[in-house]
Amino acid sequence: MSNAQVANDSRAPSSRSGAPTWWIVFGREFHELWVGGRALSLLLIYSLLLGIQTYVFASNSELSLIPPNEMVYETLKGAIAVGLFISLIIGADSISGERERATLEGLLLTPTSRRQIVIGKFLAAASPWPAAFAIAIPYMTVLAQGDEVLRPAILWGAAIGTVLAPAFTALGMFVSFWCNTNKTSLFISLGIYILFLLPAQLPGRAQTGAMGSLLQQVNPMASHAHFLSKILVNHRTVAEFWTWLLAPALLALLIFGLLFLYASPGLRLEAGRARFRWSWARAAGVLACLALFGSSPAMALQTAQQPLQVAIDLDYKVVKASDHVLFNTTLTNNGAEPSAPLIAAMNIINLNAKGDVVDPEDWSPQRTQYTEQLPAGGSATLSWRINAILDGDYMVYMVVIPQPAGREATSHPVASSGIHLTVTPFTRLNPGGVLPYAIGGPIVVLVGILLIYRYRRREIDAGGAK
Amino acid sequence: MEQRNRQVLVAEDLRKSYGPRPALRGLSFSLDAGRILGFLGPNGAGKTTAIRILTTILEPSSGRFLVAGVGSDRPEEIRRRIGVLPESLGFPKHVTGHEFVTYFGRLYGRTAADAQAKAVALLKDVGLEQRGRSLVGTYSRGMRQRLGIARALVNDPAVVFLDEPTLGLDPKGQQELLALVQWIARERNAGVVLCSHLLMEVESVCDDVVILSVGRVVASGTTAEVIGGAQRTALGQNAMRIRVAPPSVAGARRLLEALPNVVQVTSANGTAPGWLGVELVAAPDPAASPDPYRNNRILDALIRAEIPVLGLQTAGGRLQDVFLQLTEGEIE
Repeated sequence: MSNAQVANDSRAPSSRSGAPTWWIVFGREFHELWVGGRALSLLLIYSLLLGIQTYVFASNSELSLIPPNEMVYETLKGAIAVGLFISLIIGADSISGERERATLEGLLLTPTSRRQIVIGKFLAAASPWPAAFAIAIPYMTVLAQGDEVLRPAILWGAAIGTVLAPAFTALGMFVSFWCNTNKTSLFISLGIYILFLLPAQLPGRAQTGAMGSLLQQVNPMASHAHFLSKILVNHRTVAEFWTWLLAPALLALLIFGLLFLYASPGLRLEAGRARFRWSWARAAGVLACLALFGSSPAMALQTAQQPLQVAIDLDYKVVKASDHVLFNTTLTNNGAEPSAPLIAAMNIINLNAKGDVVDPEDWSPQRTQYTEQLPAGGSATLSWRINAILDGDYMVYMVVIPQPAGREATSHPVASSGIHLTVTPFTRLNPGGVLPYAIGGPIVVLVGILLIYRYRRREIDAGGAK
Repeated sequence: MEQRNRQVLVAEDLRKSYGPRPALRGLSFSLDAGRILGFLGPNGAGKTTAIRILTTILEPSSGRFLVAGVGSDRPEEIRRRIGVLPESLGFPKHVTGHEFVTYFGRLYGRTAADAQAKAVALLKDVGLEQRGRSLVGTYSRGMRQRLGIARALVNDPAVVFLDEPTLGLDPKGQQELLALVQWIARERNAGVVLCSHLLMEVESVCDDVVILSVGRVVASGTTAEVIGGAQRTALGQNAMRIRVAPPSVAGARRLLEALPNVVQVTSANGTAPGWLGVELVAAPDPAASPDPYRNNRILDALIRAEIPVLGLQTAGGRLQDVFLQLTEGEIE
């Protein structure tokens, strides 16, 4: 070699083509996923499941007693759960599947950075979620029957799904990164998914208490479902329950950090990653993710304590099951001295069932409200809301309890007048009316598959895609 | 050896171990632009490891290499300068050949329009212009290999690595593909590393040869040099095989047995009909140069007797013999 003159290359093409490499990889992967039929097949199954669930809600006499907001909630929960499963298994196939099909080597032989390959693949693998959520909207619309729950359901479903679905895609890819075969990758991903679902299957008592609550709050699947149920079914405020969204957000941050910062630069032909070169920036990023994730239980447990209120400005009301009633109470201090701090508690009695007490937890976002001392002659107005869950005849009344002065003191609760609340039966869904949606959803997806196939066929006959 | 003035690939003492097991024990060679290097070795010799190191898929444990002047410490730059057809490259089924090559063209930094134009040109070069718009899933094995070669050329590489490109092809397909390999080297002036188990094809198209055994280089040089050395050995080995037309076997046998330098003539069992094994008299002094015209005289006798000669093999006169001799018993 001593007499040799090493050729300097002048043939290598320039590295800039206008479009970033991740975008080019995304385009190809997106095409393969959608035109190849994998995403559409999964969405077809997904729409069938949603259709069956919707029809069951509408036709089952027991379930049809559930008010629209609960049906919408259950449908949204199912849509997110299945959507996450689709995201997870598509992610789980993305790298190990390429290894198995021997197409990864061709990609690794290009000058593309490993991270850009992973980003492009990730974006394509995450693409089914918006379509899946769009498919769920008509089902939720028909179940909502005009109830105002639809808007927040779509809003929160989109927001939570848009955080969790990419996180589950990234989780599947992360597993896939360390697997040589699809079988292993899918098996592990399925195991992880079942682990996420497991806390919800624990006996009722195990889900309450400190440990049960902790498990639910750190589990992104359980915590987002809890948040949605409180917001959509119980009409609680976001301020009260936003901490339940920490686990999904932190899972997303952690897994994005692991996939994009730690794993992706070491993408290689065999399972696992190439030798990792630590840098301060990478170490800081990973530590920040770990710290955020580690702190989630503590943060999630800091459930905000809300001040309590009570009010009455209504004598009677007739409503339909699933409707709600709004009213105010005004507390007035008629004495000469400032009052003690006051606690207002709402009580609901079922007049049809020999005076059974109704648990206001399900009926109202406010069971009790607290107010500070009232000055002499002062007053405070508190607003209340009751959700009419079941038909029947009810009496709603408030009890105002002055805070006792000490351990050896008592106080005299004062009861308000009652609201006679008559709840008429819920308008049941007509299963026949739901059927077109239950069947129509899968048919629309099927037509989509056929149209894409025809379009592709024509494109090829006409000389291939441009 | 002639003066080389455009080395496009230089490997210097490349080594690779998987844990305690060494897979490559000091690989050094060089390749000039426009030449084809046959990369040979039995299974487990370290060929795939070497190719993967040279194509930056694996990192060497030690040693370095240069591709078109770019050192192995700049893998992305090296990938811009090489084209690779791996042994078992997978192809997506739902794209056309044209889309496939265009995609890779874009990954190498070409604009969409440029990549499309390049794909059209390359598909024509590899003989796929008529099927470029068909789905890859409908391609035969040979067509896929051609498509893989088109993909490997999309960046106008200085060095092209072809790992078993003719595997699974019919004889016509093999011949066409080898012609394509020669075209890459001669017309595009790229250095080609051809990894193959088919020694006849390596012998027919390769200018240079590197033979690996258990991770070591056991022979390297031009094909003529490697085979030439073996031919000299063969002449001292006192054996040859001749194939004649089957009706002439008995006559040829009698004629050969009557020649002065022939010890015995045997029927070569297990081969095509008409092959005769001929054992020659050993030279009195093994250290002396063997008679270079000995085989010619035997052939001359057959021609004069008007016995149709269909084939002649001297032991060690082929790359296959060299390969077997150098790698015998060393497969791990």
